[in-house]
This record gives sequence, C-alpha cells and structure tokens, in this order.
Amino acid sequence: MKRLVTIAFALIFIVSNANAQSTSPPQKKADSGPGAPITVSLPNKEGDVRFMVVGDTGTGAEKQYELAKIMLRYRQAFPYEFVLMMGDNMYGTEKASDYRLKFEDVYRPLLDQKVKFYAALGNHDESNQRFYEFFNMEGQEYYRFKKGNVSFYALNSNYMDVKQVKWLKEKIATDTANWKIAFFHHPPYSSGAKHGSDTKLREVLEPIFVKHGVNVVFTGHEHFYERIKPQQGIYYFISGAGGKLRDGNVKKGSPLTEKAYDSDMSFMLIEINDQQMHFQVISRTGETVDSGVLPRQAKNGNNRVSSAP
Amino acid sequence: MRNSLPAILAILALGVAGQGSNLNSNPQTQVANSLSAHDRLIADAFEKRVKEYAKLREDLEAQMPKLSKEAKPEEIELHKKQFQERVRAARATAKHTDIFTADAATLIRAIIKDEFKGQDRVELRDTVLREADTKAVPLRVNYPYPESEELLEMPATLLQRLPQLPKQVRYRFVGRNLLLVDRENGLIVDYMTNAIP
Repeated sequence: MKRLVTIAFALIFIVSNANAQSTSPPQKKADSGPGAPITVSLPNKEGDVRFMVVGDTGTGAEKQYELAKIMLRYRQAFPYEFVLMMGDNMYGTEKASDYRLKFEDVYRPLLDQKVKFYAALGNHDESNQRFYEFFNMEGQEYYRFKKGNVSFYALNSNYMDVKQVKWLKEKIATDTANWKIAFFHHPPYSSGAKHGSDTKLREVLEPIFVKHGVNVVFTGHEHFYERIKPQQGIYYFISGAGGKLRDGNVKKGSPLTEKAYDSDMSFMLIEINDQQMHFQVISRTGETVDSGVLPRQAKNGNNRVSSAP
Repeated sequence: MRNSLPAILAILALGVAGQGSNLNSNPQTQVANSLSAHDRLIADAFEKRVKEYAKLREDLEAQMPKLSKEAKPEEIELHKKQFQERVRAARATAKHTDIFTADAATLIRAIIKDEFKGQDRVELRDTVLREADTKAVPLRVNYPYPESEELLEMPATLLQRLPQLPKQVRYRFVGRNLLLVDRENGLIVDYMTNAIP
C-alpha cells in the first residue's frame, strides 16, 4: 500500500511538471522564424520510439511548405523515424498532380531521408489513398503496426462500421505491447467551436480503449492543437493544424482543455520509452508551444488503465 | 427447428405487412439484428441487392490490372478512371430506387429517426445540412461523387445499426439524402431522399 502511495505521488509530480511546462505561454524568441535556432526539449535517446504527429496537412499552400521546413530542421536535431498523419491528407481533388503538390513536394526532403509516413483517412480523403506508396497503409483503411514496444492503431473514423469495430476488438484484445496508441481523424474530445467532441464516435470507441488499455489517442480534424485533460485515464491530443489554421477556434475556458494553441499551424514531436511519453509541440515559426512528459498508465486486473492523476 | 425458421419469419412478415417499421427502440448502440422479423426481412433483401452490386463491380475490377499496395499516384488515378468507365457501362440502365426500394427506405428512415433524437438530431442536421461541403454532389445514379467534395463522416453509432454493407460500398449523407457510394470508383450506386428527419 505504502509503495502504491509513493508511486501515485511520483506520477502526480511528473504530470504536474508537464503541466507547469506546458501551461506557460509560448516563448517569443527574438530569433524565432524559419532560420532560427531550434530547441529540443525531448530526451532524444537512442532506442526510444521517436516520431512526429501532424494532421490536416493537404492544402499544397505556402504555409504547409513553411511548416515542413521547420519539421525538417527539427529532424536534424531530433531524428524522428516516422510520421503519423491524422487525415485530410489531401483537400480538393486527388489527381496525380495533387499527390505531388499536396504531399510529395512538401515532404520530399523527409522522404529522401527515408522518413516513413503512416496515414489515417479524414473526411476529405478518398479511400484510394490506402494504396499510395508513401502512406504505408498496406492497402487498408485501418491497420496496425509496431515500433519497439509500441503498437499503433490507425483507424478510419470517417466510417466506423461494424467490421472495423470487430477488427479493432480482435487485434487489441491480444496485444501485449507496453504502449497502445490509436490515431484517427475525428476527435472524441475537443474544445473546438466549429466541430467539438465527436460523441457518437466516442460512444463506440472509448469503451474499447478503456477495456484494452489504450494509452494515447492522437486526432486531427480541428485545425489547431489541443491537449485534452486525461479522460478515463487516456491521454487525448488534437494535432490538426498541419496545413490549415482555424485561428482562435478553441473555446475559452473549456473544461476539456489542458493546453491549447490556435494562433498558428503546428506539429508534435513524440518520444516514448518504457515508462514515459515525452512530447513537444512546435509552431510554424519554430516556437515550442507545449511540452511535457506523461507516465505510462498502470493497468489493473481487467486491463483497464487507471485514471491519470 | 432451423429449417422452419424462414417459414416462421415469413409468417411474421405477412402478419405485419403494410405496417410501418417497428423498431425496438434502445438508446444504446444497437445492432441491426435487433430488428423485428419484418424489418429483418427488408434489411436482408436490401443487403442482398447491395451484394449483387458488389459482385458485379468485383467481377469488373478483376478484369483490370490489380492496384498495388505501393501504387504511384498515376496508377491510382488511372485505375479509378477505368474502373468508373467499366461500372458505368455495365450499369447503364441502373436507376434510382433499384436498391433503396420503398420498404428499405422506410426502414432506414426509421432507424435514423430512432438513432437521432433531441439534441442529437439538431447536431446531425447542423453538420449535414449546414456545415458539410457537399453541395456539388449530383443526386444521380451511376455518376461520380466529386473528389473535391467532402466525404461526410457517418455517425459511428448509426453505422452499428443500419443494414450492413459489403466493404466496397459506403453510406454517405448529402443534404437530407442518403447515398450508396462505391469506395474505390466513387460512383453513386443509389440514393434515397429525406433520410434525415
């Protein structure tokens, strides 16, 4: 019992630290901007699972390219191996030229460095994207892959039918990975004034996530960044400002918000080891707008994650 | 007993023929197999018609070069175009209500109405009728769903209740209408009007 209390206090300390870091306003550095020095606040350790998260990218507009330049610069200091795409990978038409303009040309330097992109589908994406060589979807709208001791579940929240739910339940029931991460387009929790929480999706997915110990959920759809207060012991993030921005769209005073950033485009850098997930959120001007470290949730007898402190 | 089940279902169906859909209302997520026997027969027939379409398009696609899991954008674009042409030619006489027959449409309307009540209905109408970027979608069978238009998310709880579709075909809301859209070639297979109460 005494040991449990000690662990609980340790967890509270770690998360409090994360909050303390992340609730401070973005540091406006004089040298911020595309050519500014970069600051990595992650451990950056060999052997950790290191990746990037970005959503709602596919505009092909200048600002998407600007953000990609920052992504590239951060990779020089923090060599993330792969990228999770939260959907809306291509707005508008999906001709071959669109694949170039809205994806390949934008991220060419990363592709040349063998960074792998794993895509989820959004409400602007055709199903045929699942065949695209650089989205690594293996011809499936929903799929799983593993990196180290982390399982990633890419889901198609645009069409969460009976077949997909059955697939998820079957796959996750026997998954023994230390970390289980789900990523998809529509956020079950959101403080967005335009869309808000997708309660119908939450009704279907959350019981599965809780039962089978999903640790983290990444989504997009809302064109801003939001870190949600842990729900049912699960960490939820929205990273949907990779190509578009919905300026000032996060509802002020929302009880869901742990931290939000809606005044410029952004992406996330993530590093996971056995016990912790470190995160850093970077804006289009290279500023760190949120960062912190979250402990891996403990699991009780029925595999349900305990509530985060 | 197993052999007599279809007969029992048929008798039950006759007993309620002519009546509207009699859904077992349940606020929780409800699967399609909780339908009444009458509605189950309608759903089965609907699912059978969709499967017939799926088989037709599978047969046509099988005659085409297979799209690799690591396809180039040009290959994806060409495959879609050629697939559309083949299916459109094969279904040149397809018409509205071939699949969404009157009884199937009545059943589906009832399921949607039962699923979306009160605030849920208000939110659905807001999303589908006001926010969605689907105004350029033609309400025409065998025509492509425009790539530039949004593929509005289908509510997850509703998908657990509607008659089940083969993987090749999707439900899509466009305005108050519900469409069946082929997920690869993007063609509108059929549609029903006034789906949203």
